[in-house]
Amino acid sequence: MATRPRSPFRWGRLVLFAVLLAGAGITILPFLFMISTSLKTLAETLTRISPSPFSPDFWPRTPQWSNYRDAWKVASFGIFFKNSVIIAVTTMVETVVISALSAYAFSKIRFAGREILFTILLSTLIIPETVYLIPNVIIVSSFGWMNTLAGLTLPFVASAFFIFLLRQFFNQVPNELLEVSRIDGAGHLRSFRSVMLPLSKAPLFTVAFLSFIGSWNALQWPLVVTQGSKWRPLTVGLTMFITEAGPEMQLRMAGAVIAIAPVILLYFVAQKQFTEAITRSGIKA
Amino acid sequence: MRKQRLRDNIAGYLFTGPALILIGIFSIFPVFFTVYVSLFKWRPNGPAGFLGLGNYVEMFGGNPLWLLLTLASIGGFVLAAFLLRSRRGAAGKALGLAGGIGVLAASLVAFVVALPYLVAQGDKEVFDSIRVTIWYSIGTVPIQLAAGMVLAVLLNQKVAGRQAFRVVYLIPYIAPAVATAAIFELLLSLRTDSFANQLLGLFGAQPLQWLQEPRGIFQMLSGAAAYGPAPAMGVIPAYWSEWAQGPSLAMGSIIIYSWWVFIGYYSLLYLNGLSNIPRQLYEAAEVDGAGKLRSFFSITVPLLSPTTYLLTILGVMGTFKAFTHIFVLRHAAAAGTVDPVSVSIFFTYFRKSRLGYASAVSMLLFAIVLGLTVLQRRTEKRLEYGD
Repeated sequence: MATRPRSPFRWGRLVLFAVLLAGAGITILPFLFMISTSLKTLAETLTRISPSPFSPDFWPRTPQWSNYRDAWKVASFGIFFKNSVIIAVTTMVETVVISALSAYAFSKIRFAGREILFTILLSTLIIPETVYLIPNVIIVSSFGWMNTLAGLTLPFVASAFFIFLLRQFFNQVPNELLEVSRIDGAGHLRSFRSVMLPLSKAPLFTVAFLSFIGSWNALQWPLVVTQGSKWRPLTVGLTMFITEAGPEMQLRMAGAVIAIAPVILLYFVAQKQFTEAITRSGIKA
Repeated sequence: MRKQRLRDNIAGYLFTGPALILIGIFSIFPVFFTVYVSLFKWRPNGPAGFLGLGNYVEMFGGNPLWLLLTLASIGGFVLAAFLLRSRRGAAGKALGLAGGIGVLAASLVAFVVALPYLVAQGDKEVFDSIRVTIWYSIGTVPIQLAAGMVLAVLLNQKVAGRQAFRVVYLIPYIAPAVATAAIFELLLSLRTDSFANQLLGLFGAQPLQWLQEPRGIFQMLSGAAAYGPAPAMGVIPAYWSEWAQGPSLAMGSIIIYSWWVFIGYYSLLYLNGLSNIPRQLYEAAEVDGAGKLRSFFSITVPLLSPTTYLLTILGVMGTFKAFTHIFVLRHAAAAGTVDPVSVSIFFTYFRKSRLGYASAVSMLLFAIVLGLTVLQRRTEKRLEYGD
């Protein structure tokens, strides 16, 4: 067997690296553009534009950090940020608790009608979300939940997909493990809390991440349910700013940075769990 | 023992109760409720008159012939596909082939004639939004699949910084779409010195209107200047010439944004698929003298087909519910050419406050998605059983 010639082999690696680097550049460039624009003066956003980050025109002459203060205070992104945090954390907690409890029951508790209820649950997966829009607007407003935290979070916290995902995992946990804990008469809640939950950190993280991101990034429902700045999240605030406010690109981009930063920070901190969660979400269809 | 069973039942209902109640109220009941609402003229403060099928008549027009003929021709396509695949003996095969081609030809003629008349008598906005959705699927899904697969294969090589690349490529998918779309709205501005137009200038091209260009891409390439209804034409050629104009450049701009967001995500799922392909297959191929390209097409592509299939479904369904980025990127100048069905439904409610009609359009969307799902289940079985 002939050995590979050395030099073309290395050239191949170099080309591969260059291609991947170029791709990463294209991926990152819009974010760089966002950051640089967010630090420009209004005049600079109109006159100093360049597609190349190596050109001085790409960057502001002196970074205008005050843009962030303006966006936070004047354009109310501070309030929207606080709302987004409250809404996303509430959605995440509600989703994890509700999905884990029901997934446990569907996996480990024998109760009448379990199979048929689970089948009905799964059948909701084929309904496109758009179909819910109109009826849920009518339902939520008839509950008097417009512009409330309940109206913003509750319609989405019980998801057949998350319950299915957790049940798949719970099914792999042997029953004996739970029965041991129940010999001394402990109830289901006890074995759920002290045996099942500690064993299921990875899938629970998946559900937590995906529901947090889903809520943080959502636009349509909060756009419909919120009025004024009381509960308006960042996504809605930014959209309103784009469609209604003037041409202040630097403030728009500062708002975009404020919306993106928390998600990216979370992603960098828990990069592995995130990637795993998103790979799992692909199994959805 | 009976006591235990009672306790299990109670625990089961208590544990599943919250989820079942919420799903009942916000996922199952709404489906039936939408049907009900679609029969009314319904305003934000409640029903304002029973219309019966009035909303559906507005959508599809007064003469049911064209709707039935269009549906029949779509049924004909499915039947033809079924006949062409039948393999019961040589005679059956020949018969299937002849019948299949016959049915296909008849359906095609019926479709080409019936659809333009259906659109002409129905709600143009709804049918335009379906066309936009189809163009959006065609423009995004195949390219994202191909680029995602190639990128996954590249990322699967031993290369410096591999892990860092994987992390970076996923960022556009994770970042809030409102924010990334806001960036692209700026990059793709129509100003002559905008990011995109300066980039075009490097290649000596003229600046474009990007997100505010309603003209079709094919139309622009062919050099036609005007946008708007074609000069006096029959119903049939007028309708099909609209298709021939292609998606608007505004839609094209949104498609480019979509590539930027989804190629990294697709490559992540493909990487997951690649990890399931045994190394030995590549080694065996190498021993047999197959080059890298050959093993890519003979091993990688076929063995990734489950992922490809999954991503195709995800991608097409995604175009039916696409909302956030389009809401941010749409400009009044090109609005009608970038709104897929989901956005059109939203505005029927949000701007026009027509909840009844929006529900009727939702039912049409539901029917299309359900049809695609049934088709998907059938082809999936075929793939599984290796027919």
